[in-house]
Amino acid sequence: MPLFIDLSKLKYDIYHKKMLNFEAIRANMKRFIIILILTHFALAGSFAQSVISGKIFDAKTNEAVASVGIVNALDGSGTTSNKDGFFSIAVQPDQPVTLTFLHVGFHPFEKQFSPKDFNIGQRIILKQKVEQLSEVEIMGVSTIDKAYRTEDVEIKTLEKSNLNDIGDLLRNVPNMSGVKKGAVGIDPVLRGFKYSQLNVQLNGGTRIEGGCPNRMDPATAHVDLNDVKHIKILKGPFALKYGVNFAGVVDMTTYQPEFYEKYKTHVNVLLGGQTNHTGFKTKVGVSGASRIVTYNMTGSWKKYGDYKDGNGDWVPASLQHQTYTGNLGFRISKKHIIYASADISQGSNIDFPTLPMDERKDDTKLYSLNYLANNIGNSINFIRFKAYYSDVNHEMDNKNRPFSDTMVAVSKIHAINSGGKFGINLKVGQAQLEVGGDYENITKDGTRLKTLIMQPMLPSKEEDLWNTAHIRNLGFFAEYHRPGQVIDWTAAARFDVNNATSGSLTRKNMAGDAVYSNDSTTSHYNNFSVSGGLSWHISKSSDLFFSLGRGVRSPDMTERFIILLPVGYDPYDYIGNPQLKPEANNEIDLGYRFRNPSAGNIEISVFFSYVTNYITGVLVPPSEIKPQTKGVLGVKRFINIDKAFMTGFEISYRTPAKFLWEINFNAAYTMGWNPEVKGVIFVDGVARVQVIKNDPLPEIPPFETYISFNYKLFKRKFVPAVSLRVAAAQNRVSEAYNEQATPGFVTVSLDIKYQFNNFLKVYAGIKNLFDRPYYEHLNRNIIGAKYPLYEPGRIFYANLIFNF
Amino acid sequence: MKTIASLIFFLLFIFSACTKNNQVSINYQATGAISEYILYYQDADGVLQNVNVKPESAQDVYNIKFKGAQGDIVYVSGRYSDPNTALRITIKIDGKIYKQAANEGDTLTFLTVSGVVPYQ
Repeated sequence: MPLFIDLSKLKYDIYHKKMLNFEAIRANMKRFIIILILTHFALAGSFAQSVISGKIFDAKTNEAVASVGIVNALDGSGTTSNKDGFFSIAVQPDQPVTLTFLHVGFHPFEKQFSPKDFNIGQRIILKQKVEQLSEVEIMGVSTIDKAYRTEDVEIKTLEKSNLNDIGDLLRNVPNMSGVKKGAVGIDPVLRGFKYSQLNVQLNGGTRIEGGCPNRMDPATAHVDLNDVKHIKILKGPFALKYGVNFAGVVDMTTYQPEFYEKYKTHVNVLLGGQTNHTGFKTKVGVSGASRIVTYNMTGSWKKYGDYKDGNGDWVPASLQHQTYTGNLGFRISKKHIIYASADISQGSNIDFPTLPMDERKDDTKLYSLNYLANNIGNSINFIRFKAYYSDVNHEMDNKNRPFSDTMVAVSKIHAINSGGKFGINLKVGQAQLEVGGDYENITKDGTRLKTLIMQPMLPSKEEDLWNTAHIRNLGFFAEYHRPGQVIDWTAAARFDVNNATSGSLTRKNMAGDAVYSNDSTTSHYNNFSVSGGLSWHISKSSDLFFSLGRGVRSPDMTERFIILLPVGYDPYDYIGNPQLKPEANNEIDLGYRFRNPSAGNIEISVFFSYVTNYITGVLVPPSEIKPQTKGVLGVKRFINIDKAFMTGFEISYRTPAKFLWEINFNAAYTMGWNPEVKGVIFVDGVARVQVIKNDPLPEIPPFETYISFNYKLFKRKFVPAVSLRVAAAQNRVSEAYNEQATPGFVTVSLDIKYQFNNFLKVYAGIKNLFDRPYYEHLNRNIIGAKYPLYEPGRIFYANLIFNF
Repeated sequence: MKTIASLIFFLLFIFSACTKNNQVSINYQATGAISEYILYYQDADGVLQNVNVKPESAQDVYNIKFKGAQGDIVYVSGRYSDPNTALRITIKIDGKIYKQAANEGDTLTFLTVSGVVPYQ
């Protein structure tokens, strides 16, 4: 019998929460025990190490738990429990150690052992995970590999970051980018899809409607990065239980209720600061839980100034922001959890140099009530219910701009998004079927007050930005998942009933005469979305996945109801079109996953999208409507065109977790084109409308690759890392949108992590080490200038994290 | 004990995060006139007020003082009907001249000085 067992694979599988092959584990158990005993004696004899050993039990049934992965946080060594639940692990003598116990069916458990605990049999109790499923886990995003590409941004990435904006963080995800207009509020772009083509949500379903017509406050801008624990990205129109999904879901998780056997309190403090874009951030969190009650409260504050770009020029980028959150949860019985959340955030004086205004004040309130029930009878896996209310008061003005010398403009917008969802997950043989419904109700109202401050009598005029605009969406969904030894099958469908209306869309000039008016603002659509996919387990290490789907979305507020504002990439006033048809994304994804504990993880994916009724803007003759914004070239109206195409790929590789050194690599590319579009071409300074064939879609990021290397020193306590980001030039630019090509760039960053002890972690680093002047293709141009918003030059930063 | 300490710590943090006062002193000054003129100005509440000023000499300074905040519109506009007079209007913020303008013998146009209290 060969004395061989792939322990690292087992640990790796547990770490990645993969379903374990228990038959294989059992078959290897004899060999495992022999190795365990030999290893135990070898280690004990040759290195005079101590041993922590014991037995692991299920808290619910009191039965022994086999195949639990046990990891020593100090040096990364590990083992697994045998079929009788026994484990034994060698540790350094006279040194406290923390062991983490991991099993796919149980909640991770961490315990600190002092030297007096060594060589004494321990009794470890694990709680079944099904008792503590959180909203995110119940949503099915964490445990099962999908038949399409997904990405995770973990808390480690968030903690080590000097970033202050979620959109900025997401730009590091393969094939994600962001439209940058100012200090914060980078609007996520996923595989070239953006704005309401993406479903961006909080904690598994809370939706936020930003106030600004120019999207200076997308949904991600209303959530503090310091509160985020995890971000999940589901690419493509395949996941249909999260609400309307046209091209992808970005789910930000800030809180998951946890309960403990004995009451515990934790305090978490973050202090961070940086040079250039000089500023500080701080966060204090207090959490506590018993078997019945769990709570947490956080408060965070940050303030940053302007920054110097790589050319040494100052860029306005000041901001101030504070957030308070509170969560309270009750386990009302063994299988039923209810919890409520509140999040209040206030931003002030945030610079947006690419827009005509800066954000003066933002007051956002998010509330949600959630109910979870697990394992109800033999046929129900779980039931979940969520109700939420998000309220955004957004104020912006041009008071810090040169043109405020003659006219001061102040816009105030109130946007409310309320709704909820209900789902029930059923056991259907070996499969799971989830059915449910969701509802979203968006209202938006706002005005702009223009005051002519150089005129006698201080005349002013108020005009509508949104005129009591209203969109309601009621959806019903079903998702079926059948895991198998060889193939996992997935199918999903949803049906949406979408209604929209608004007050009259009217714009008057300063003399009070109407330059545009539209009273036909009501629309009603029934949309059907469907997807299907499979994961073929070619071998233990390899999966091939394939998904096909059609995601349909109704037009958003801007596309329907905007009234002559320059909200696009190009310098045109846009007017909404309440009669737009829904846009549909027909997408096919194909991918390959390879996961090997000795070779690492490789994932390759390609996609192709055929978008019908693609929503874009076309020029309106000046004889019909004249622009109302100074400096724009004309007016464009949102319309549907027959079709557009997108295609691209992602490649990523990561070395095995067991190595002391680690390499992360990813590369991604997207291209999109419009087969035929009418564009405005300037010939000798004269504008001409012309049909352009195969025009690239605007605002598509270029080919980009990222590689990082780190090495774990001093028992993994000290981890220095270097990372390199290479973005190619983007020369595929839209002629119809007068889009400008952008050069490529390379940036290098350094960072270190130092785990001082169990209570203190330090992250520090240098971003843009060589102080390179660069800008992303999706950065907008500085208002009144022809050059783009440059990224910051060299930044030194440090974050201290205390956990008590 | 740990719980109480944690909560106190948390509350201290919350209170320390309060925004600082951004109040400023605004002073509108009109001078240089030898005969009656009318001033229109925006007050602390953002309301447009007017006042008839009858100076005794060109050295008389008519002052309007109030507290304002960063981002407030400051506006003074004056006009006279005597072609032999003049007018100088100054807006001071926290004692420093923010904007100033003057004219002489112009009975047709309003002399307007305005702006926005700058953000620090």
